[in-house]
Parts: sequence; C-alpha cells; structure tokens
Amino acid sequence: MKITVCIGSSCHLKGSRQIVEELQRLIADHDVKDKVELSGTFCMNNCTNGVCVTVDQASYSLTPETTESFFATEILPAL
Amino acid sequence: MNNLCTDIGYRSLTKFGELLCGDHVDIVEQGDNSMVIVLADGLGSGVKANILSTLTSKIISTMMAQSMSIEECVSTIASTLPVCSVRQVAYSTFTILRIVNGEEAELIQYDNPYAILLRNGRHFDYPMTMLTIDGKQIFQSRFPIYEGDIFYLLSDGNIHAGVGRALNLGWQRDTIIDYVEACFDTEYSAKTLTTILLDECNRLYGGKPGDDTTVCTIKVRKREAMNLIIGPPANRDDCNKMMALFFNKEGKHIVCGGTTSSIAADYLKEPLIPELTFIDPDIPPTAKLKGVDLVTEGVITINKVLKNAQDYLLDNESYQHWGYKNDGASIITRLLFEEATDINFFVGKAVNPAHQNPDLPISFNIKMRLVDELAECLKQMGKRIKVSYF
Repeated sequence: MKITVCIGSSCHLKGSRQIVEELQRLIADHDVKDKVELSGTFCMNNCTNGVCVTVDQASYSLTPETTESFFATEILPAL
Repeated sequence: MNNLCTDIGYRSLTKFGELLCGDHVDIVEQGDNSMVIVLADGLGSGVKANILSTLTSKIISTMMAQSMSIEECVSTIASTLPVCSVRQVAYSTFTILRIVNGEEAELIQYDNPYAILLRNGRHFDYPMTMLTIDGKQIFQSRFPIYEGDIFYLLSDGNIHAGVGRALNLGWQRDTIIDYVEACFDTEYSAKTLTTILLDECNRLYGGKPGDDTTVCTIKVRKREAMNLIIGPPANRDDCNKMMALFFNKEGKHIVCGGTTSSIAADYLKEPLIPELTFIDPDIPPTAKLKGVDLVTEGVITINKVLKNAQDYLLDNESYQHWGYKNDGASIITRLLFEEATDINFFVGKAVNPAHQNPDLPISFNIKMRLVDELAECLKQMGKRIKVSYF
C-alpha cells in the first residue's frame, strides 16, 4: 500500500509536515513499515481540499488532528 | 581579457559608543573586468572620521577610475581634506586595490595595515616599492592575479583588536594571517570571509570595539552561471518554449515550485521524486529530478532565500544557518550567494488558483514581488542578473 502526502506550498502551510511525521510515527508504532510505503508529491491540483493525501488511487483530505483516526480507520483495516 | 571576476564583501564594526563609522569603502567599476576599491580610515572617530574617510575614498576611487596618477590623487586629497582642529592635520589612511582587466592587481597603500593576500589558501608575500609623495610614504605593488586569490584590505582596528583585553599588543598582522589561512575554504564568498574575520575581531574586543574596524575581502574567481525557474508560464502553450530556453542555458539549473517541477519533469521525460525529510520544519522538502541540480517548493522557499539575502546585505547573521544546512532554501542561498556570479531568472506569470485563498500568505503579487526583491538584493551583491518573464 502506498500513502502519498502532498508537500506543495499550500498543503505545507496547512500542516503536511506534521501529517508526514505523524504517519511516520504511526507506521513505526504499528510495525507496518514493510507493508506501507510513505511518499511525498508536489501539488496535486486540489489545494482547496488540502492537505491532500492519496492511498493507492483513493484521495483524502487530512488535517494533523485527523491523521491518527484516518490511520486507524483507513489504513490499518486494509492491511 | 579572461573570464575572471571579483567577488567583493565588506563590513565594518563601529567604535563602541559611536554612531558613525570612521572607515569607508568605495568601489568604482570600469567596464566588465576592471575596478578600483578603496578602503579609507579617517583620523579619529565619529562624524569627523566619517567625513574624512568618505571624502578620501570617493576622491581616490573617482580619480583612479579616470586613470589619473596616484601622485595627483594624493595631492588632491591633501589639499581638499579639512584640517582637524585638534591635531592640525588633514589625514586619512587608505588602501587602494585596482584590478585591471581581470589580469593584474595594483595595490597602493598608505598607513593602513598591509593588505593580506592568500594564494591557494597560503599567505603570499607580494613585492612593494616605496614612493614618497608630499612627504608621505606610499607603498605600491603590481602583480598578476590568479583564480582563487583572496585579498583582505584592513583598517587598523583589526590589528588593535583585543589590545589590553584579550591580547596585550593587539592582534598582530602575522597572527591574523594564521587565522585567515586556518579559515580558508574555497567555497566561502567574500562576504562570508569578511564576516568570519570581523566576528573574531569583535570577540577579541569583547563586543565593544575600541576602534572602527573594517574588513574588505576581494576574491578572484571564475564567472559561474546559475539559472532559476519559478512558476508556470501565463499561457500553458509556452511551457515547452520556456523549458527549452531554460535548459539551454549554461550553468546549473534550479527549479522552484510544485507545478513548475512537474512541467520540467514532463519536458525532460524523467520521474520527479520528492523527498520526505523535513530538515527545517518551515521549509518544504526538496525533490530529485535527473538533469536538474535542485528542485524545491516555490514561494515559501524563495521567501526564505529573500530573507537570507536581506540579512546578508546587513550583518550576515543568518549565515550560521544557511551556511551548512541542506533544506531547499539554504541550498539555493548557497548556490546563488556563494557560487553564482551570473544569474538568470525565468519567471512564469501563471496565477495559481489555489494560492488566491485569502487565508494563505502566498498570493500571486507576493510571488512577483519576491523575485523582484531577490533580484535587487543579488544585484547589490555585485552579481549580474537577468530576469525573463513568460
């Protein structure tokens, strides 16, 4: 599974760094590093809905506060 | 004529308690590869010294640039400078460095500490002949210059640093030579070398300089081109044209901006691979793209570079951050300030709809202003700048 987080200007200002760090922590905590690939991308052309995150083909809009629940509901069950 | 040019950086410490510095540096360019640099140190300190040194450096640099002889310059100064009412003399010491065609240096020194020359990082003892003009002993030297030569022009505040405090006799010229040899690094810009030496003087003075102290560093270097592209063109049909012009330019290539880097990746037919490491929490990560020397985010990164540039022209305090860090902004800062002499900006005027959100501090106008201000700062650093809009 591949999670891609937008690190463009707009998403950066909305907190993509915190989201990346949170996801890195969650992946390490749940020991799923070999199942989840975390990557970044520049602008996904959907800035108004940032921070933009895609999981394989599906796209989501996250904030640093919703990252943990997103990981629990969308990532962990799919592994 | 060759492709050598000079990188010049100078800064002064003002005597503790004074508002004005009594040292003055003046630079007059003569065409592409020739220039006159004068460092003058006025008698006394404060307003009087400031007037004397400003007059002296202006008169000498202007006259020398008009190819007038050193004798004429000195006698003009002697008859022009106001006489100090306390000491009954009109007096300002000076060091003149003239670079001729990027091939030869002429040093003319009067009563300042002798200029220091580093060649290949080692002290080089240049020959001097003494002239006596109006009873003043003036030392003259002429010799060819080579890439990598570094001249340090100094006012006597340098050799007085630490007198009676850290050092009994002040900072002797020989010890200064040891110090600048130890600090030598080919990557450092003239301004950085100046900052390193002046900071040490300030430290020896315990932060309270007992005399006006000036360092002017001149580094002889090759011209180095750098190209930076930011923003997609206003008309998307111009993408290929803009990229073709950009990539055809000689020198390194920096791509700034998410959309811009995607366009560059399409043009080069190479994958764009963003990094996910946040070296500086405020600066978005960089990316890798084959054929491009550096890919970064746009406005936030450039905004930081502009901040560094403004600081560089003042006291260069932020050097301790951008000097070694590997976030996008610090790398661009090093490439533009230290490595480049000729910079071409390719600026796309497309409006990013996502940035027009009033909550975000990155509107279109800000982007255009950032580039303009950065170009202006770089010009003040003595770089040749060309900005093209698309």
